[in-house]
Amino acid sequence: MFRDSFIILRKELRRMFTDRRLLFMLVVLPLVMLPLMYSFMGKANKTRMAEINSYSSRIAVCQGQGGGEVSDLFIESLSMLNAHIETAGPEQIDSLKQRVISKDIELLIVMPGDMNGDILDNTVLNFSIFYNSTGDYSNYAFDQVRSAFTAVNDAIVRLRLLESGMSEDMLKAYTINKYLAEDEISDLAEEGSVMGKLIGVMMPFFIVIYLFANSMKVGLDSVAGEKERGTLAMLLVNQVSRLSIVLGKMISVMVAAIVGAVSSAIGLKIASRYLIDMAGDSGASISEYTMGSTAILQFSIIVIPLAILISSLVLVVSTFARNVKEGQGMIMPVYIAVMVMGVTTMQTGDVPPQWMRMAPVFNSLVVLKDIFMQNALWSNVVFSLATSLLVSALFIFVTLKMFNDERVLFRI
Amino acid sequence: MLRVQNLSKEFRNGRGKATRTVHAVKNLSFQCEPGEIYGLLGPNGAGKTTTLRCLSTLIKPTSGNAWIDRYNVLEHGQMFRSKIGFLTTDMKLDGYFSPDYMMNWFGRLNKMQDSEIQQRKEKLFVDLKMTDFIHKKIDELSSGMKQKTAVAISLIHDPDVIIFDEPTNGLDIVTSKAVTDFLVDRAESGKIVILSTHNMTIAEKLCHRFGILVEGELKEEGTLSGIIEGSDWDNLEDVFFSYIMPDSTDGGEHV
Repeated sequence: MFRDSFIILRKELRRMFTDRRLLFMLVVLPLVMLPLMYSFMGKANKTRMAEINSYSSRIAVCQGQGGGEVSDLFIESLSMLNAHIETAGPEQIDSLKQRVISKDIELLIVMPGDMNGDILDNTVLNFSIFYNSTGDYSNYAFDQVRSAFTAVNDAIVRLRLLESGMSEDMLKAYTINKYLAEDEISDLAEEGSVMGKLIGVMMPFFIVIYLFANSMKVGLDSVAGEKERGTLAMLLVNQVSRLSIVLGKMISVMVAAIVGAVSSAIGLKIASRYLIDMAGDSGASISEYTMGSTAILQFSIIVIPLAILISSLVLVVSTFARNVKEGQGMIMPVYIAVMVMGVTTMQTGDVPPQWMRMAPVFNSLVVLKDIFMQNALWSNVVFSLATSLLVSALFIFVTLKMFNDERVLFRI
Repeated sequence: MLRVQNLSKEFRNGRGKATRTVHAVKNLSFQCEPGEIYGLLGPNGAGKTTTLRCLSTLIKPTSGNAWIDRYNVLEHGQMFRSKIGFLTTDMKLDGYFSPDYMMNWFGRLNKMQDSEIQQRKEKLFVDLKMTDFIHKKIDELSSGMKQKTAVAISLIHDPDVIIFDEPTNGLDIVTSKAVTDFLVDRAESGKIVILSTHNMTIAEKLCHRFGILVEGELKEEGTLSGIIEGSDWDNLEDVFFSYIMPDSTDGGEHV
């Protein structure tokens, strides 16, 4: 039986690895897609940020009556910004608001009515700032002005406290990490685990997506396509058992799935340098992340049965479908469900709910996350392995049943 | 020897109360001896392909059985298949591979040794005049070349019983002759050949005995001379039409 499965597998693999178009879809695409995507996103993000930073914001200031030290401080802080300041009278407020709406200007600052105050007067000045949240430049200008005004506010408060004979320290009840030694690091995460967490959040999602995508590319054609082309009957009339056919095809789909998952994992590792650039996280470095032999063993124990499970699921659909088109229609909701599972696992915190540890696919994804973060428990690894194999056996049984049912196999 | 006994096949169409049972083959019995070419004739929907599919083990008979020596379709599917070479018009080959590769592949699936496959392949390539295109992709071959390839592959394991459904359908006269000559040669070497065809000329020329199947029932069976002698007609085609279109034939009674 296994000899026949192997003969079928060899032919399927030969097809897979000699057909350039298929090879590109299965291996090259998962490998280059993520680095390309993230490098493009990273570059676009950097270009956008540089553009915003170099932009001279157009800010309209509606000045209040009079002027004193306080007023001077705020006006001066505005002049320090990379902005073109336009002054206007209170009667123009409505028309200036319209200009903010139409993005003709980024910001409208309405100064308080009375600006005659002195720094040491304990008065509170009420500014109004109008911006347009749908404009990137307006949001940026708002942030710039707010931080400039906060700096002025801090300086005024400091002067007022000093004048009344108090230390500015009385405003602080505590400090954090102010007195750490020079070589002392507050983040005590193990070396590599910061990167592990970043990879652990994303990798299971991409692994399951590519396991499924590649299974679909090969698996739907493997039975539904052969039914459609009339090549399956040619195989069935030979001296080969239907179990051998199912196993041979299932393993070939699994190989395609694993090839896709490994390609995407390498792709994600390459892409993560762009991801770190985008996140601006200097603490994590891709070069410091390595997987130990135990983690690699655990990874294989989880990914191979997960690939078997997904391949056998795709094969169930492929065997039931009349043709590839019908199979694609049937498999799409399953694909979306698997994507949702991936996203859900991605958003799960360090302690996933118990049901997630029990449910097939979910538990594999959660354990994969643990493996990348280098804290996977063997009990969870073994449980995930067992559930994946159990569900796979069920799917193989169903496929075999359908292979022996002429109403399914030969319905047109 | 091939023996078909009381073979019936029913299909159920629809669901629930709307279920309709179609009796595709009714109580069919016949047998063939080594060296014999048996023609299964009948119009579309007569049950020929269903009968052949039951004999190939692709589908299971609802009742009855068929034997080749001591193996039957119900209990010894795989061994039964080792005795037959089966080909229908809707069976196709994977176009990505060459005839040579597919011959090797099917040979191995039929438990043959590589040396055995090589010998058999060489003979079939010569007999079917295939040597010019054995390394080309099947997708790049003409329909005649594809049909020759399909014939060769179905016979790679040198089966005792050859079951072909319309083997010359859509072929040009040269390829058609190559295939029919090859089948005659196989029969002469002691194989049983069962042909299903619409082509009365080919049937008359090739077959030693015939079975005329109408609406799933075997209406007539015998040699060409036996069938004609027992009827009011002087050729097989008229006898055939007298069964499938009784009103269109001029008078006379048939047996």
